[in-house]
Amino acid sequence: MSRASRHRAPPRPSVSPPTAPLAPLALVPPAGVASAARELWAALQLGAGPTAPLEALAEQALSFTPRVSLEPPDALLLEVQGSLKLFGGVEGLRAALQRNFGVAGALALAPTPLAALLLVRGGRHAAVLERARLTGQLASLPLQVLRWPDERLERLKRVGVRTLGALLRLPRGGFAQRFGVAALRELDQVTGRLPTVRHWFQAPLRFRRRRELCCELEDHERLLLALEVPLTELERFLRSRGLGVAQLQCQFLHRQLPPTLCELKLAAPATRAAHLSALLQERLRRVRLPAPVRALELRTSALLRHGPPSASLWQPGEQGGAAVGQETDLIERLRVRLGEDCIHGLRLHDDHRPERAFARTEPPSLTRATPTTRPPPPAARPLWLLPAPQPLALRAGVPQREGPLRLLGTPERIESGWWDGEDVVRDYYTALDVRGARLWVYRERRAPHGWFLQGIFG
Amino acid sequence: MSAASVGYAELHCLSNFSFLRGASHPHELVQQAIALGYRALALTDECSMAGVVRAHMAAKERPLKFIVGSEFRLSCGLKFVALAIDRHGYGRLCRLITRARRAAPKGSYTLTRAQLDEACLEQCFVLWVPGAVPAPEELLWLQARYGARLRIAVELLREGEDARRLGVLQALGVAHGVPLLASGDVHMHVRARRPLQDALTAVRLNVPLSEAGTRLYRNGERYLREPQRLARLYPAALRAEAVAVAAACHFSLEELRYEYPHELVPPGRTATEYLRELTEAGAHWRWPGGVPARERAAIEHELELIAELGYEPYFLTVQDIVAYARRRGILCQGRGSAANSRVCYCLGVTSVDPQRGGSLLFERFISRERNEPPDIDIDFEHERREEVFQYVYAKYGRERAAIAATVIMYRARSALRDLGKVFGLSVQESTRLASVMQWWDSGTSLPERVRAAGFDPASPWLPRLLALAQELIAMPGFPRHLSQHVGGFVISEGLLEELVPVENAAMPERTVVQWDKDDLNDLGLLKVDLLALGMLSALRRAFALVNEFRGTHYGLGELPAEDEAVYDMICRADTVGVFQIESRAQMAMLPRLRPRCYYDLVIEVAIVRPGPIQGDMVHPYLRRRSGAEAVAYPSEEVREVLERTLGVPIFQEQVMQIAIAAAGFSPGEADALRRAMGAWKKTGGLDPFRERLLQGMHERGYGAEFAERIYQQMLGFGEFGFPASHAASFALLVYDSAWLKRYEPAAFACALLNSQPMGFYAPAQLVRDAREHGVEVRPADVCVSLWDCTLERCADGAAALRLGLRMVKSLSEAAVQRLQVARAAEPFTSVQDLAQRASLDRGDLEALAAAGALAALSGNRHLAFWEVAGAERPLPLSFGAGRGVQAEEGYPLLRAPSEGEGISADYASLGLTLGRHPLALLRGRLRAGSLQSAAEVRAQGNGARVRTAGLVLMRQRPGTAGGVTFVTLEDESGQINVIVWERTGRAQRAPLLQSRLLEVHGELQQQEGVTHLIAHRLIDRTALLGALTTRSRDFR
Repeated sequence: MSRASRHRAPPRPSVSPPTAPLAPLALVPPAGVASAARELWAALQLGAGPTAPLEALAEQALSFTPRVSLEPPDALLLEVQGSLKLFGGVEGLRAALQRNFGVAGALALAPTPLAALLLVRGGRHAAVLERARLTGQLASLPLQVLRWPDERLERLKRVGVRTLGALLRLPRGGFAQRFGVAALRELDQVTGRLPTVRHWFQAPLRFRRRRELCCELEDHERLLLALEVPLTELERFLRSRGLGVAQLQCQFLHRQLPPTLCELKLAAPATRAAHLSALLQERLRRVRLPAPVRALELRTSALLRHGPPSASLWQPGEQGGAAVGQETDLIERLRVRLGEDCIHGLRLHDDHRPERAFARTEPPSLTRATPTTRPPPPAARPLWLLPAPQPLALRAGVPQREGPLRLLGTPERIESGWWDGEDVVRDYYTALDVRGARLWVYRERRAPHGWFLQGIFG
Repeated sequence: MSAASVGYAELHCLSNFSFLRGASHPHELVQQAIALGYRALALTDECSMAGVVRAHMAAKERPLKFIVGSEFRLSCGLKFVALAIDRHGYGRLCRLITRARRAAPKGSYTLTRAQLDEACLEQCFVLWVPGAVPAPEELLWLQARYGARLRIAVELLREGEDARRLGVLQALGVAHGVPLLASGDVHMHVRARRPLQDALTAVRLNVPLSEAGTRLYRNGERYLREPQRLARLYPAALRAEAVAVAAACHFSLEELRYEYPHELVPPGRTATEYLRELTEAGAHWRWPGGVPARERAAIEHELELIAELGYEPYFLTVQDIVAYARRRGILCQGRGSAANSRVCYCLGVTSVDPQRGGSLLFERFISRERNEPPDIDIDFEHERREEVFQYVYAKYGRERAAIAATVIMYRARSALRDLGKVFGLSVQESTRLASVMQWWDSGTSLPERVRAAGFDPASPWLPRLLALAQELIAMPGFPRHLSQHVGGFVISEGLLEELVPVENAAMPERTVVQWDKDDLNDLGLLKVDLLALGMLSALRRAFALVNEFRGTHYGLGELPAEDEAVYDMICRADTVGVFQIESRAQMAMLPRLRPRCYYDLVIEVAIVRPGPIQGDMVHPYLRRRSGAEAVAYPSEEVREVLERTLGVPIFQEQVMQIAIAAAGFSPGEADALRRAMGAWKKTGGLDPFRERLLQGMHERGYGAEFAERIYQQMLGFGEFGFPASHAASFALLVYDSAWLKRYEPAAFACALLNSQPMGFYAPAQLVRDAREHGVEVRPADVCVSLWDCTLERCADGAAALRLGLRMVKSLSEAAVQRLQVARAAEPFTSVQDLAQRASLDRGDLEALAAAGALAALSGNRHLAFWEVAGAERPLPLSFGAGRGVQAEEGYPLLRAPSEGEGISADYASLGLTLGRHPLALLRGRLRAGSLQSAAEVRAQGNGARVRTAGLVLMRQRPGTAGGVTFVTLEDESGQINVIVWERTGRAQRAPLLQSRLLEVHGELQQQEGVTHLIAHRLIDRTALLGALTTRSRDFR
């Protein structure tokens, strides 16, 4: 989803009131409709380099005016006519905006949103308050500020037009015929000859619940009980919107100390309160609370689309039907209990070197390990490999392991891996030890020609 | 039985001509097999004969039997090796390969069991190569077809289970009565090639090595193993059977006999009679006043020799092709030893008048003793050679005519790019790594360059990668794939596919044989080189222009001969555009060599070549020519050979003649030497000749220094040998183009512009040069210009050059044709009129506006673009009704382009300007920086310290110049040649390689009328050019 369209989609949720103070309603003209009413637009250009996402900045901008519009990728447009009084005029507003957004944000004000935008793109941090003065202020700007397609700019360059001034001097009919009606409309919107319709930014969707406890709690079981109400509300919130949660933050607030944080990362987007509650229970066991808890707060980040759970036609165990979510449940539980790093998957890795013939993977959660289609090597391979090959003693030229080993059959020669510095040059044998166990041993073909035990046949 | 008593023959062995599979050259395999004492070696590249000639030549007269074979894998998975027993079997094998290859896109093959049946593989041993799990069904299928000639190949490669596999195959053999033999599935000559073989496999699979996994071979056992080792692995019977099969194969490539096509002779006459008939007719055409007695005698002598050696069909084949070209008005010119015969002059193959060229050239056109196939290359107009190709295909059919192959070798860049990928670098990184191998970089050390490209030289993978790259680019060059030769045709009397396999080329409707020109040469097969030469296109156009303008009837070789003024111009090095002698090196030579006659031009063409330069022949020749050094000959025999070149060997033929005259070589040995000279980089086999040569010359009393010089020149000739027989033909083109430049500069420039791209100079320099020679050049104009540049008559009767619309970038020829038709009906009145009547689209109109070609209709470029933009699309109907927009056009207030903008636009669209030189506009700023113009620099004396700046026209770094880079700068007053020594270039690499406007501080060097600027300091001034687009032509 592009940024441009994202901010339009969701309706403002009732569960998440905007953090902004209410703007004086009386001054706000009906949104989205062009009117002859005087407007003053502030264009805020964000500097290059890592800044917060545009949406996050737009949320801050809501504290200056409810009429904020995104101009991806790097600008915000604020209609501030109505806020002037509140902030003590243009200078006051400018100072307030700069205080809030810092030096990174360049700022220009103009009677039309596009003019403000062009000015700020051109590096003119001007405040043009009257339409009459607008054309003059725009004239010396280079055409690049329009961010028109290169092809159109190139064609304008070819007729010798390099500035907005020269552009605005072209005959309107001739211009429209050559460069399109849309381009002319855009210019008319810049100068205010035509009104501009903009989409207003709305704060995004998220779930946040805080519950003050009637008494301070230390007991995990009771804390869990206390969490049930917000978790149920969360489930209702998610279900009604077809969403699932992938990350959940639970904060336990203490009287004196900073809050204790408990975060869940889920293998698959989850909805059910019972499921979340069970996971939180596991996690809570490993959390030591430094002090009694006086309040709880539940917060979501990362809400994902999530279809309704479809039950398998077959019950677990019946007709080969697997328990829905059973594997993921198990993995989530193991991860929560043993730690993220202790659980991993295993898959075959295509390599001649035995110690490289398998690899660790992320535990199979949503994506299953795809079975490798390559046939197994023709030569015998043991099921058990040692974590590292064990050197074998040599007596009278015969490798020993609790006695001499007897080598069986012709050797398998493996020479591979020179490209990563772990070139293996070995002759592998199946060997019998004195007790009759079948071992997998090899002899280095490089000096000093040592013998090693690498595996045991079952 | 001991290993020695049984011996071993390897019958399944791939070379690097099984592209991206085999990791050793054919000659390496042969040499290793000899070193190991193998009885025989078969080369069995996969569905290919591309490597067999090389292996055959390496095994020739050595104690190793060489067997020709090929490996196949059918679509069903069945894999076998076929070995040719005799000539018939070889023919069938070639036919099978041809069919499998022709049925698949270039570089691949497909073969099914049904196709194999159809191909009737006879007189070949077939070795079944069973899969991991041997399928008895495959054995039965093969047995039903190949019966007694079928063997089971047992390949024990220590992949585990060797003993069991041997047992299984032995049981199968006994059960079905098929003998087993030992073979090794060899992919490399020594075990040490394992990393290279793995890397090639990964390149073929297009995956990084780390992901290739078990698709790589498990170990490095696929090499030519020592007999003792094999004796431990295989039962003696299996090895004995391999030796027996090898002994039963008695085909040798020596047996191939080539037959020339015979159908050119009309029924009822012999080839000898017919050739004489054609020659007689030609003699009357060439000498209308009667054939001079001397020529008559020479003709008789030549015809006699041709008849004796049976070469009539060859001459008739060449005559037929040339006659076709003549009928179609395609200019052509033959060269090569046989081309300079009287017979060829009479047949119209060459236009070099034997009397004019100096009879010395024609003494030996074919050697009776050496039985060397006659050598004729024919150059055609580069734009029309395809017509000749199609004629040859149509006449002989695809079964009998095909193009020779060229083996594409790994070069530094392709090696690094491919290896980068298999070492897991991204495409961008691989390209970046490959880019460190720019041609101009050979001087700097590799780690330095790798660091400059942003790689850490300490990375552990880097030395591995570079070591492999070294192996790939080491001489003689590691083959990567087959491509088509530029123009070498093989035409045969019988079916080509029974002589050599034929496969598809990249171009549709083209087929190539699997052998390259050296292979063909080694086996004595005939090849006719049909080459493309831009200068012939230009000359044909120039003759047409001049004849039309002046009413003359000039043609190739028909211009007034030995004109003094032409040689005066050549001696001044005023030769921009002239064939061959326009290059910078040639221009520097001209004032020193001062050619005054045709033969001097022959020498001039041949002397500026790596051969004479590396052999240090240039300066002795110049000294002797100027009289500064006495002309002396070490002996009377040498005098005979070298008299025409003042005792200094310059031509390739002379080197061989010296070998005969001074070192006692037999003609046969000299011929072997000639071939070795052409191929020594490939096989490294000149050392035996060195011994022989030095010894022979020593015995005959020649000094060691002279002998060593002759040897050095042979090495130089190896790569770029230039024989007098080629130089003589080229010299004619030199003279004719020089004459045209001297007397018809407008027509000459016009023809060159219409034949672009060709030659050494860009249109900007050609036009500039023409204007300096007083030609009026008129701009491209939509109201008068045609597609081609044309001549217009000035008021004083002189020719003016009108630029054609072909010069306009991104303008289609079809659009110009429509434009010309519409304009012929009625002149254009406006851009709108032009657009409508010629139905030009916006792209065409913009191209015309960009070129300034609309000036007559619309004024300056800004106005032209405004009109073009409005010319095409009518205003949408719905528009203009409301919203306060007037429908009328209105006249735009557009400023006129500045001079600089005009010049930039000229360069961008036409590649040249008729306005001032761009540097004229910058002159004030350059002067402020104390920079002098080219003319001011040239006016200074030898040794002066100067500072100048100019547009970079060319950068050259010849292999013979020891790391020196030559840079040509241009400003409004002329050109300056800059020499950048290797150390200077290395220290100031960025400005040297990146500047388009280059400032140079240095020291002037003037010698014998040649001026050079030795650079000390280089500064990139490209920023001053602004939007101006210029491009340097960079040459190696």
